[in-house]
Amino acid sequence: MTTPQAGQLLELRDLRTHFYTQDGTVRAVDGVTFEIRDGQTLGVVGESGCGKSITAMSVLRLIERPGRVVGGQVLLRGKDLMEYSDTEMRDVRGNQISMIFQEPMTSLNPVYTCGDQIAEAVELHEAVNRRQAWARAVEMLAQVGIPEPARRAKQFPHQMSGGMRQRVMIAMALSTNPELLIADEPTTALDVTIQAQILELMKALRERNKMAIMLITHDLGVIAEMADEVVVMYGGKVMERADAMTIFERPHNPYTKGLLASIPRLGEKRERLEVIQGVVPNPLNLPTGCLFKRRCPYAMPVCDTAPPVRQVAPGHVSRCWLTPAGEPPRIGEDAPPELAEESAQELTVMAR
Amino acid sequence: MFSYIVRRTLQALPILFGVAVIVFMIVQLAPGSPIDRFRTPRISPAQLDALIRLYGLDQPILDQFVKWITAFVQVWRVDAWGYSFLDGQPVLNKVLERVPATVRLMGAALLTTIVLAVPIGVLAAVKQYSWTDKLITTLATIGYAIPSFILGLYLLYFGGVVLKAFPLFGMQSFGKSGDVADLIWHLVLPVASLAIQQIAGWARYMRSSMLEVLHQDYVRTAKAKGLPRSRVLGKHALRNAMIPIITLLGLSIPALLAGAAITETIFSYPGLGAMFVQSVTVRDYPTVLALTMVGGVTVVVGNLLADVLYGVVDPRIKY
Repeated sequence: MTTPQAGQLLELRDLRTHFYTQDGTVRAVDGVTFEIRDGQTLGVVGESGCGKSITAMSVLRLIERPGRVVGGQVLLRGKDLMEYSDTEMRDVRGNQISMIFQEPMTSLNPVYTCGDQIAEAVELHEAVNRRQAWARAVEMLAQVGIPEPARRAKQFPHQMSGGMRQRVMIAMALSTNPELLIADEPTTALDVTIQAQILELMKALRERNKMAIMLITHDLGVIAEMADEVVVMYGGKVMERADAMTIFERPHNPYTKGLLASIPRLGEKRERLEVIQGVVPNPLNLPTGCLFKRRCPYAMPVCDTAPPVRQVAPGHVSRCWLTPAGEPPRIGEDAPPELAEESAQELTVMAR
Repeated sequence: MFSYIVRRTLQALPILFGVAVIVFMIVQLAPGSPIDRFRTPRISPAQLDALIRLYGLDQPILDQFVKWITAFVQVWRVDAWGYSFLDGQPVLNKVLERVPATVRLMGAALLTTIVLAVPIGVLAAVKQYSWTDKLITTLATIGYAIPSFILGLYLLYFGGVVLKAFPLFGMQSFGKSGDVADLIWHLVLPVASLAIQQIAGWARYMRSSMLEVLHQDYVRTAKAKGLPRSRVLGKHALRNAMIPIITLLGLSIPALLAGAAITETIFSYPGLGAMFVQSVTVRDYPTVLALTMVGGVTVVVGNLLADVLYGVVDPRIKY
C-alpha cells in the first residue's frame, strides 16, 4: 500500500488483463498506467478492440472467464482493489465507483421497474428503508431530467426511449454519490441530439456532485466536449497521454495524429476522409516492437523494437521512437537499445 | 387480463371441435369394433346384429358423430358422455371419479419437476463447463433418453421387488383411506417414472436459458451496482431465465397426461391414464372419445395457462 497523493482518486499501475482463448492468449489490456484525480474527467479513446472497455471492467473487477486480470494494481485512494475480498469489492461497486454502459436498450433489466432498479442500488449501499430508497430513486429521476419522475419510476424500461433509459442508467449510477463514474461509450448508441443532451446532463451532474469521470469513447468529439485529460489506447497499451488541449493541438504520437486526421470537419471541403491505413492487428498475432508500425506513416527500422514511453512535455507522454520534437531518433543518442520498453511505472512519474 | 382469458377460451372452441372431429374419425378408422369382445363361438349372428343396433353402430357415421357431439357438450347431464361399453356405467361419472388420482399424480410430478429442475439447471449454468455441469448435462441426456415405460418397469422392479421399499401397485393400501403418508408412499415410484424425463428436459432447458441470460447486459449492470451474487442470480437473472421456461410448462401438462397413460398402467394406478389404455384395448368407444377430448382440453388449457403466465412474469407482454 502506498500513500496516495492528495486529490488522487484512482491510479492504474501496469494493469494487465488477458483472455485465455482456445486460439491463444489475447492481451486485451497490456500494461496500462494512468491516474484520475478528484473531479477530473479522463477521456480514454481508441478504436474498437483497443482494450478501453476491458480496462474499465478490470477496474471494477467485472472480468469474467476466459479473461483474468493477470497483473498490475488498481489503486483507489491508494488501496489496491485487486487485493480486496469479494465483499469489499461489492461495496466499492455502485458506491465509490459506478458504471454506465454503451447500450441503454439492454443494460436495464426488462422485468423490473426503473424505480425498483435505482432504489435497489440505494438500499444496498445506504442505511435507508425501502420507502426512502424509492423516494431517492424518484428524486434521481428528476435530477436527470425525466419529467413526471414519480410516474416514470413505476414504468418498465421498455416503456422508455433510448435516451430516457440512458438517463435512468445515469440516475442509477449517481444515486449513491460515487466519487468516480466510469462511462463506457455512454452516447454511442444514441442519436446525435440525444447524445448532446446526455453529455450536457453528465457535465451538469459532474459539477454538482464533484465527481470524477472516466469517459470511454471512440468519439473524439465527445472527448473535446468533456475531457480534461486524454489517454489514447491502441492494442491494449497507452500510446499517448496529455491534457485534452495538447492532444488536439500538439499530438505527438502518429496514432493520435491519425485519429485526429480522420475526423471530418465542418466547413472543410475534402474529396475523401483521411483514414489510418490498414486494420487493427489481430490480437492473437501482434507485431513485435511497436504495435502500430504496420500502419504508421513514420515507421522506421527501429520500430521493430518496442518503443519507449517518452516525456514529450511536462504532463505529456507518448509511446513512440520519435523524439519529443517529432524527429526520427538518432541511434545511440535518442534510442539507446536499453531504453526500449521502459517500465510503465515511469509513465506515471513522467506524467506528473 | 380477464377479457383475454375469455377471448382465448372462445377461440379454443373451434379448436376443440376440430379435435372432436379428428378423434371421432381416428376411433372409427381404428381396426376392430366394440362388439368384437362379444364374438365367441356361442354367440349367434342375430345377437351380434342386435348389439350393433343397440349401440347405434349401424347408423351413418355423420349421424353417429352429431348424436355424440350434441350429447357430449351437455356435461350437466350424467349421461352426456354416454355409457361405458365395458360396465354400463355413465362415462362422465367414471371419468370424474378418476380425475383426482391423475391430478394428484400429475401435480406431484410437475411440482417435483419444477422444484428439482430449476435449481439443477441454474447450478449447471452458473458452473458452466465444471464437473458439476458435465455431470448434470450427462445425466440429463440419459434421463431424457430413457423411455418412460422402460424406466417405470425398472423402478417397479428395483424399488418394489428388489428393495421392497415401495408398493407394487395402487394408490393406497387397503384400509388406509385418507392416510396422507400412505398416499405419498404410493406416489413415489409413479411420480419418479413420470418426472425423471421431465426433470431432465427442464434442467437442460433451464441451463441454456440461464446461460443466455447470464451474458445479458443487465446482469452486468446488476453486478456493477454491487449486488451480491445471490441477488444477481436469484433476482435479475432467474426471473428472465424463467420466461422461456413457461412454454415448457404449457407443453408439460399434456405430456404428463400422456405419460400418465403408461405410468398408471405399469403401476396399476387408478387414474385416467390406466382407464384410457384399458378402454382402448376393449374398444370402449364412449370412454376413448371422452378421455381423448379431456386430453384435447388439457392441451388447450395448458397453452392458455402458459400464455397467461407470460403476462404475469414479463411486463413487456400486455393483453
